Amino acid sequence: MAASSSAANSQSPALKTYFKTPEGRYKLLYEKSHPAAVPHHSHGRTVSQLTVAYLKEKPPNQNSAAPSTSSSSGGVRSAAARLLGAGNGSRALSFVGGNGASRGVSGSSRIGGPAGASAGSSCSQITANYDGKGTYLIFNAADTLFISDLNSHDKDPIKSIHFSNSNPVCHAFDPEAKDGHDLLIGLHSGDVYLVSLRQQLQDPGRKLVASQHFNKEGVINNSRCTCLAWVPERDGTFVAGHADGNLYVYEKSKDGTADCSFPVIKDPTQFTVAHVKSSKSNPIARWHICQGSINSISFSTVGTYLATVGRDGYLRVFDFSKEQLIFGGKSYYGALLCCAWSPDGKYLLTGGEDDLVQVWSMEERKTVAWGEGHNSWVSGVAFDSYWSAPNSDESGESVMYRFGSVGQDTQLLLWDLVMDEIVVPLRYHPPGGSPTYSSGSHSAHWENNNIIPAGTLQPSPSMRDVPKLSPVVAHRVHVEPLSGLSITNESVVTICREGHIKIWVRPGHGESNRSNSSSDLAVSSSAVSKDRVVTSSLSSSSIKGSSSSSKQHSTVLFS
Amino acid sequence: MVMGAAGSKLEKALGDQFPEGERYFGLENFGNTCYCNSVLQALYFCVPFREQLLEYYANNKNMGDAEENLLTCLADLFTQISSQKKKTGVIAPKRFVQRVKKQNEIFRSYMHQDAHEFLNFLLNELVDILEKESNATKTSPEASSSKKLANSPNHNLPNGTHKEPRVTWVHTTFQGILTNETRCLRCETVTARDETFFDLSLDIEQNTSITSCLKNFSSTETLNAEDKFFCDKCCSLQEAQKRMKIKKPPNILVIHLKRFKYIEQLGRYKKLLYRVVFPLELKLSNTISNADSEYSLFAVVIHVGGGPNHGHYVSIVKSHNHWLFFDDENVEMIDESAVQTFFGSAQEYSSNTDHGYILFYESTGGRS
Repeated sequence: MAASSSAANSQSPALKTYFKTPEGRYKLLYEKSHPAAVPHHSHGRTVSQLTVAYLKEKPPNQNSAAPSTSSSSGGVRSAAARLLGAGNGSRALSFVGGNGASRGVSGSSRIGGPAGASAGSSCSQITANYDGKGTYLIFNAADTLFISDLNSHDKDPIKSIHFSNSNPVCHAFDPEAKDGHDLLIGLHSGDVYLVSLRQQLQDPGRKLVASQHFNKEGVINNSRCTCLAWVPERDGTFVAGHADGNLYVYEKSKDGTADCSFPVIKDPTQFTVAHVKSSKSNPIARWHICQGSINSISFSTVGTYLATVGRDGYLRVFDFSKEQLIFGGKSYYGALLCCAWSPDGKYLLTGGEDDLVQVWSMEERKTVAWGEGHNSWVSGVAFDSYWSAPNSDESGESVMYRFGSVGQDTQLLLWDLVMDEIVVPLRYHPPGGSPTYSSGSHSAHWENNNIIPAGTLQPSPSMRDVPKLSPVVAHRVHVEPLSGLSITNESVVTICREGHIKIWVRPGHGESNRSNSSSDLAVSSSAVSKDRVVTSSLSSSSIKGSSSSSKQHSTVLFS
Repeated sequence: MVMGAAGSKLEKALGDQFPEGERYFGLENFGNTCYCNSVLQALYFCVPFREQLLEYYANNKNMGDAEENLLTCLADLFTQISSQKKKTGVIAPKRFVQRVKKQNEIFRSYMHQDAHEFLNFLLNELVDILEKESNATKTSPEASSSKKLANSPNHNLPNGTHKEPRVTWVHTTFQGILTNETRCLRCETVTARDETFFDLSLDIEQNTSITSCLKNFSSTETLNAEDKFFCDKCCSLQEAQKRMKIKKPPNILVIHLKRFKYIEQLGRYKKLLYRVVFPLELKLSNTISNADSEYSLFAVVIHVGGGPNHGHYVSIVKSHNHWLFFDDENVEMIDESAVQTFFGSAQEYSSNTDHGYILFYESTGGRS
């Protein structure tokens, strides 16, 4: 089990470069990293986070060199750019189901395997002016923010931005930003910067250029900025969560920080919203949400709901424009670390220090299933917005969701969820079959699911009362504990705490690269899942975990 | 480090948040006695234990003729700390350390000692002393009544053969009961054997959590091949399934991470630097009652160093919602988020050598 001591930053021989799922193999396509110059342990407390940025073509009204769309190089291609907002659940911005129409060409110059294809080598020159579309990975490590090109085989980042006063800890990207100011960066000091990603790419220096600076030197809040999110469908509005349980609403059109004091929080256990009087100042509102840190936030697809998770172990769902708590619920125990919405806004995922992935129903306002499979804390969750259920055509009724989770156990887990199976309580038998246990006594309690009144926080349910899920796949992807994942239409992207990234290409995409045939590529967009029939034997054989429990629950995965 | 300066710095850091009546005192090191100091701090901030000990001191202080023992020395030390006029400072646990060395020759040398062994030794000594005292003061009628009880039909259980031990306040604080369930795969008969514990010693693996280690601890093990189980009902060796369950969760849950492992190829012990994360809140779900008992972390004894035979022990302690770092005579306030720096190393070559070794969780009384 011990990590190989020789595996410094390189690929550990113990780690496989692919993993099997019922629909085929996911293959390691690229690795992204940052210069080893970053001292390995100087940044123990700064955990690398990942943002996938879909940068659109530079608007024609801004003067620029000719966009490179006609080039055959894939370096800047992510043709479905505007459709991909929901790939990372926590930064869902503009989800539109299905694949982009021009998806077919995007893989044409990909490097398929370690041998590499020469076609990709020219891409960096073509993208040099960064006027075209592109998909970029933004990640932080120690005192630096790095930007890598998702579709390039280059391991090294194309851009490094150094912060001299405080470490960058979180970031968010808005592909719809009309003025081009799309990238938010939150610092350990509480400061928040807003910049244009394209301008950073085009600038040769190592400093942030043309930035708007909020909460300067922590003047409004000097606790760590833990999370940032743009409010979908509300151009220019964003929120910043802090380590002291406060969340601030900003409007980028307002710059001033004059007269921006908020009243003292009288009862730190109570949710309160305070607005500023001046119409010029920023932030425009403070939400005091909880005691202790807000660890992660996520907006539902159209921005109606805001979910927060934090140190106190509660998930809270707010109606953002009404500024009201809809419901909340607790982890099994310990802090919650991450959250994500389903693309249709019906379900939420959370992960935390109880090693569980929790599935919450918006309709029922409570936990509907616990995913057991991680051997350590769950640090990232995301729905796969591009997944289409293999059996959805037949039954029509059972909606299946695919989601992923990553943990500090260095594993990536993929899960399937069939909703009609979840609503019907499962007969849960504890693994190993305790002789003192009588089955069925508790399921009545579970069925009695009255709708929970609005605005209340639910305590954690008992272990035996919640239906359990087992993962479809469990794969050790890094040697270091993982800190996040993002699911795009082509791949699953994982990042570890030290800032090493792996891009796992979906089944179908990797194969088409190898065949290097353009006709295959056109098909591959629709072939992602539908062409691959999932059989029940595949599902049970690929389930990891204790044998007894996975057998019990295999029905959850495929009805 | 100047003692006075360290004290006033902590007082300044806490300001008017300094808890009423609380004392934060460093402990002087008498040559490799950090194993002792780190455990003492954890025990001092184990409030039910401290209160019992102070009460014991209050009840026994007038017994001038009483013989000095480890219990009286510890009670004396805790009373000395809690009755200090100053809020912070340094105390020399001289009499206590001398008593430990007198009592047990293992701890007499100046070599590096194991903090977990010391905790074990200390709790068992305290129990022995309390039991002896209670035996001495209790009159014979009670002893005979317990004999009667032993003959009553209630005790005719298959696992009722052990003598009911006297329950001291050390027991009520730390003791839990494990049930070792063995199910014969032929006749399905379940044999249950109870064991008491003051702490749970857990095997650890790289990049796991305490939750996962606890799960492994009570996972089902199949006894077969060379390792069959003698079933009393079948009167023969049979394949069986064995598992450990927690029958009675303790009030104070002490978890010992088995970081010092004997490596046969090396012929010596090696320290496992693994990263094992521990949450600030924990539930035990592997209990018999199926009630999830809830705990909150209040102290961690940390081993600092790369190997088992050298290094240093420090502790972190939660008191009145503040986290404090105790390193012999030094006491500092730390942020709650600093707790995670003691999880361990995600990779073996790491230079980080501060590792959580003994975890102290207190029951929050919550049953869900």
